[in-house]
Amino acid sequence: MAGLNGDPILGIDDKIEDLQYKNNNNSNEVVDKEELVGIGEESTTCYKSNQGGEKDMAGSSIHRSGSRPQLDLSKAEIQGNSEERDPTILLPNQSDDISHLALDIGGSLIKLIYFSRHEDQSVEDKRKKTVKERLGISNGNRRSYPVLGGRLHFVKFETSKLNECLDFISSKQLHCGRIDSHHWNSETPANENAVIKATGGGAYKFADLFKERLGVSIEKEDEMDCLVAGANFLLKAIRHEAFTHMEGHKEFVQIDHNDLYPYLLVNIGSGVSIIKVDGDGKFQRVSGTNVGGGTYWGLGRLLTKCNSFDELLELSQRGDNGTIDMLVGDIYGGMDYSKIGLSASTIASSFGKAISDKKELEDYRPEDISLSLLRMISYNIGQISYLNALRFGLKRIFFGGFFIRGHAYTMDTISFAVQFWSQGEAQAMFLRHEGYLGALGAFMSYQKHGLDDLMVHHLVERFPMGAPYTGGKIHGPPLGDLNEKISWMEKFVQKGTEITAPVPMAPPGTTGLGGFEVPSSRGATLRSDASALNVGVLHLVPTLEVFPLLTNPKMYEPNTIDLSDHKELEYWFTVLSEHLPDLVDKAVASEGGIDDAKRRGDAFARAFSAHLARLMEEPAAYGKLGLANLLELREECLREFQFHDAYRSIKQRENEASLAVLPDLLLELDHMDEGTRLLTLIEGVLAANIFDWGSRACVDLYHKGTIIEIYRMSRNKMQRPWRANDFDIFKERMLGSEGKKPKPHKRALLFVDNSGADVVLGMLPLARELLRRGTEVVLVANSLPALNDVTAMELPDIVAEAAKHCDILRRAAEAGGLLVDAMTNTLDGLKGNSSSVPLMVVENGCGSPCIDLRQVSSELAAAAKNADLVILEGMGRALHTNFNARFKCEALKLAMVKNQRLAEKLIKGNIYDCVCRYESAPAS
Amino acid sequence: MDHLAHVSNLRSSQSQTQISHLALDIGGSLIKLVYFCRYDDSCRDDGDELRSQNDSLCSKSDNNQPVLEGRLHFAKFETSKINDCLDFLRSMKLCLGVNSGSHDGTAPPSDKIFIKATGGGAYKFADLFKEKLGVSLDKEDEMECLVTGANFLLKAVHQEAFTYLDGQKEFVQIDPNDLYPYLLVNIGSGVSMIKVDGDGKFERVSGTSLGGGTFWGLGRLLTKCKNFDELLELSHQGNNRIVDMLVGDIYGGTDYAKIGLSSTTIASSFGKAISDSKELEDYQPEDVSRSLLRMISNNIGQISYLNALRFGLKRIFFAGFFIRGHAYTMDTISVAVNFWSKGEAKAMFLRHEGFLGALGAFMSYEKQCLDGLMVHKMQQKFPISASSAGDNIYCSLSSNSDENGSIECTVYGT
Repeated sequence: MAGLNGDPILGIDDKIEDLQYKNNNNSNEVVDKEELVGIGEESTTCYKSNQGGEKDMAGSSIHRSGSRPQLDLSKAEIQGNSEERDPTILLPNQSDDISHLALDIGGSLIKLIYFSRHEDQSVEDKRKKTVKERLGISNGNRRSYPVLGGRLHFVKFETSKLNECLDFISSKQLHCGRIDSHHWNSETPANENAVIKATGGGAYKFADLFKERLGVSIEKEDEMDCLVAGANFLLKAIRHEAFTHMEGHKEFVQIDHNDLYPYLLVNIGSGVSIIKVDGDGKFQRVSGTNVGGGTYWGLGRLLTKCNSFDELLELSQRGDNGTIDMLVGDIYGGMDYSKIGLSASTIASSFGKAISDKKELEDYRPEDISLSLLRMISYNIGQISYLNALRFGLKRIFFGGFFIRGHAYTMDTISFAVQFWSQGEAQAMFLRHEGYLGALGAFMSYQKHGLDDLMVHHLVERFPMGAPYTGGKIHGPPLGDLNEKISWMEKFVQKGTEITAPVPMAPPGTTGLGGFEVPSSRGATLRSDASALNVGVLHLVPTLEVFPLLTNPKMYEPNTIDLSDHKELEYWFTVLSEHLPDLVDKAVASEGGIDDAKRRGDAFARAFSAHLARLMEEPAAYGKLGLANLLELREECLREFQFHDAYRSIKQRENEASLAVLPDLLLELDHMDEGTRLLTLIEGVLAANIFDWGSRACVDLYHKGTIIEIYRMSRNKMQRPWRANDFDIFKERMLGSEGKKPKPHKRALLFVDNSGADVVLGMLPLARELLRRGTEVVLVANSLPALNDVTAMELPDIVAEAAKHCDILRRAAEAGGLLVDAMTNTLDGLKGNSSSVPLMVVENGCGSPCIDLRQVSSELAAAAKNADLVILEGMGRALHTNFNARFKCEALKLAMVKNQRLAEKLIKGNIYDCVCRYESAPAS
Repeated sequence: MDHLAHVSNLRSSQSQTQISHLALDIGGSLIKLVYFCRYDDSCRDDGDELRSQNDSLCSKSDNNQPVLEGRLHFAKFETSKINDCLDFLRSMKLCLGVNSGSHDGTAPPSDKIFIKATGGGAYKFADLFKEKLGVSLDKEDEMECLVTGANFLLKAVHQEAFTYLDGQKEFVQIDPNDLYPYLLVNIGSGVSMIKVDGDGKFERVSGTSLGGGTFWGLGRLLTKCKNFDELLELSHQGNNRIVDMLVGDIYGGTDYAKIGLSSTTIASSFGKAISDSKELEDYQPEDVSRSLLRMISNNIGQISYLNALRFGLKRIFFAGFFIRGHAYTMDTISVAVNFWSKGEAKAMFLRHEGFLGALGAFMSYEKQCLDGLMVHKMQQKFPISASSAGDNIYCSLSSNSDENGSIECTVYGT
């Protein structure tokens, strides 16, 4: 079906396949398209083009499937006609999507990293144009971003199945694109003298095969260079790349990239290299040991009958090394040798008990042998690494390489060794992308890739559908489109582990789906890496910026709720699980309830449940987990199954209903004196915030009454004191006391929450009040839909509708370029004819009910520059996230707490308590 | 080799000898004995002759006349065959405390005979000794014994320390006044690394669980060797390249010169054993043994060097039963130290490497008995060839004193 072509896993480079697929579609799906178009027209008029709904929607789906701000569409792209593409995109000569590829061909695994261009949106809707002019962004797209937008994909193949890898490359035409020294373009015809960067021993061994099969030359990059470049990139660009691992507990460590060097990098492959890294390209191999992963596997193979490294690792988890190792207790008759700090369980001699005459190799359990080997080698590596760190005075030791493989016990033993020998002074750290250091480094070795300039805030990591099943393992063939994905999901449910997982998926190690069923190991597919961390697709979004009004971006933590507390995690998982059927119903209904939508709905439910199950099993699987991440994951998962706006019709209905009563409300407000009005306005914001489909309690309310009834009831119940009540301070700031009139704010950023009453009856009247006082108002709304949250796309229509009944709003909206019929006058208005301060709408760069202010759209960042008041509204943005955020300017956080647990935890209150928190600007 | 045969041999040849002082080091795999035999009259002349040369060393004694003269003997048993050790001791007509007691003038009743002992087994087997021999083990701290033993040897015994590189053994003259601090690496079942700053002043700074027990334990599982020495012997004939992954294997026969690794450097011990096509039976035990030995020796050498570096220690002495004067072991340790220190540090070995603990325990007997223990430096009867010492593990006692590794010594009473 037409809307299903944007594959967030595979990215834009699959466009051609998608188009072909679309063209081949049979006619019985036309109905669906029309259905979609119809809905699209209702709610998204502001970005509609004259191309006709069908293509518009199709294009929409491509962009919407992407990472945060890539909402806008490129029609040209849909038509496959590059000539029409807006020339202001980053790569002016770009005629086709280019992908880039680098390989690390090791002895057992091939690690592949490829880059797929993600089109920078080039459609300039009117709102955006005006915003840009207004905010002085000199046509955003002409800004030279340091790096391309796009996605970095991480894929693994077994070296013994090299052909699968070659097929994969060939099917995605990855070898055709390349980077030349001028542009990321393809001026020269593909394949002629095409070069792929590669490292690892196999880069030599398989060079001829690549030439023969793909017609490309392999350019070998030095292994050590690549390792270091890869590690440097990861540690600088990914926020929570590094973590510690003690006694099974992972903790992510945020590395200040200005304080990264020097560090020690320990790469555990067959052997071990210990590298001191002093800077970009500055490193020295200071030590190493020949007792490494090869020793573990080599000795393990000889001593057990294991057939694979993973099997051997898996065995170790059930082992007891006390049967083979001579422990201090064995020597001292069960006693510690406390005088020198050795406990009875300390290993005195690895394999020391095997000297016994009575037992032969067959008499020892392979499990015990494996564990004994693992501990011997891990401790030894930890010890030698620590001694080297000590020698060079290095604070940080990062361990990587295939030996670790996210294996909890390996990490624990290495950590223990480092802690033991350093007496707690040093900590072993691990990298989430540990297997990909070399491949990343090879990728970095392309000239002008621009990745060097990439900053943490430019990267968004996404975990697509397959993630719960892979655990970061080997991948099978790619899936072309959504239909195949759904089929895979369906087939998976029927056949479980028998079917092959697609890219970026691995042979599934799970049969469980849905609910809280935890993916469990079964049969031959052992999950030796159950605790291994997933590696997602890295979305490079150069337009993202750090919100400039944060006082301390380095210390900023968006999440108020830390899900590392397992009870908290369980609670929120229950909430999300219970909400799931309702969400699926809404989503399916939003697509007309057709069979196809039902299929997608089922697939979404399974995929999201699998995500939840995976995270219950290993909360750190997708990196540091906060509530915001979880909520965003759900939205991303919906988008992956092409549900772009599950609440579309509900939002529409509620907007209309609310707009209908707005004039009465405004009239009522205008009859009040300033003080009463301000209180009523804030009460109104809080009362209207009850309309929230994200809250179970409120969903129940919906079934009992109409919007206006609920709003009235809610406002009547709004009795002060509220639980967190700074209203009087805010009022004094606004209105002054004893006749002193304070200066109005220059510009206020209003982070809005839900559609309907929340924005129409709550935030708009507040915005109007600020405008009336001469404060510029910027409404900040989501880039992509999330639940019933209002989006930046929808807001201009709502404002336009409201402006019909209110002169203040009309003039401000005109000044802000929000009114379509006023567009012809916009430029004049900007030149000073406007009688009003402007009301503007900017997108926040998010597609989540929460907001991480480290990664916001460039237009929000620009709008923030002159702002002196930030108003955060709603649970997602003011409580779940940012409750503890501090701003350089004044801030007002308004929300109704629609969750009993959150109310207790955050404000020691009850459900429906209100938060009105005002924070003055810190003295600068 | 059949060690029971040896013991019986010993019985016949040594049964006339009286052991006056005995100390034990009961480790996880081996029991080390140090005992002192008084000379019978026939030997006495030698001692007299040499004593005069060492008068200066005796100046502390009030009485310049030696109370005891004789030989210190060294013997080893496998801990698993502790009964052999007990039999041996019984057969040797221990006088022990009775003798030393006679010098105090208070002969203790026989049920209160103490033997100084160290090593984990001193705890574990205390009851057994009581039951079988009627003696109590007086436990001495293992580390203290090691250090005392090493200090004694390095200060008192001429040509105790030597380097071993490329098959060349070279004795190192240690100035007793410039001995400290040094790093003592004792390779028993496991490995202890001890920084020694003076008499009784030391600290265990590190260690590793990859030691002699690992070599012998893994070796037993991987080969069908019956004993440690057989395994060591095998390693002589082996080629570790069959089992180990070398730098050259990875880089197609070329060196990885950029980081200073030659093609013959071991990249990954046992790294070639990951091959699917070969099983354990397809590898020669010789090659496996060699690879194992190099892995463990190399690792010990490296960790030792890193610890010496950490504390700025010039000298590293390696000792413990793992070495056993085995040339190849010493060679690999020396190579490792040489490699990692880029030639700045040298591994040194002790001729009495296996007996440090036992010697230390021996030294811990009441001062009045042994404080004046002196060594006739010229009279040490030691095998010159390391390999012959390696052959002589289970019981170093034999009628031929030249192969005993015994030390002639004189004890001066106070």
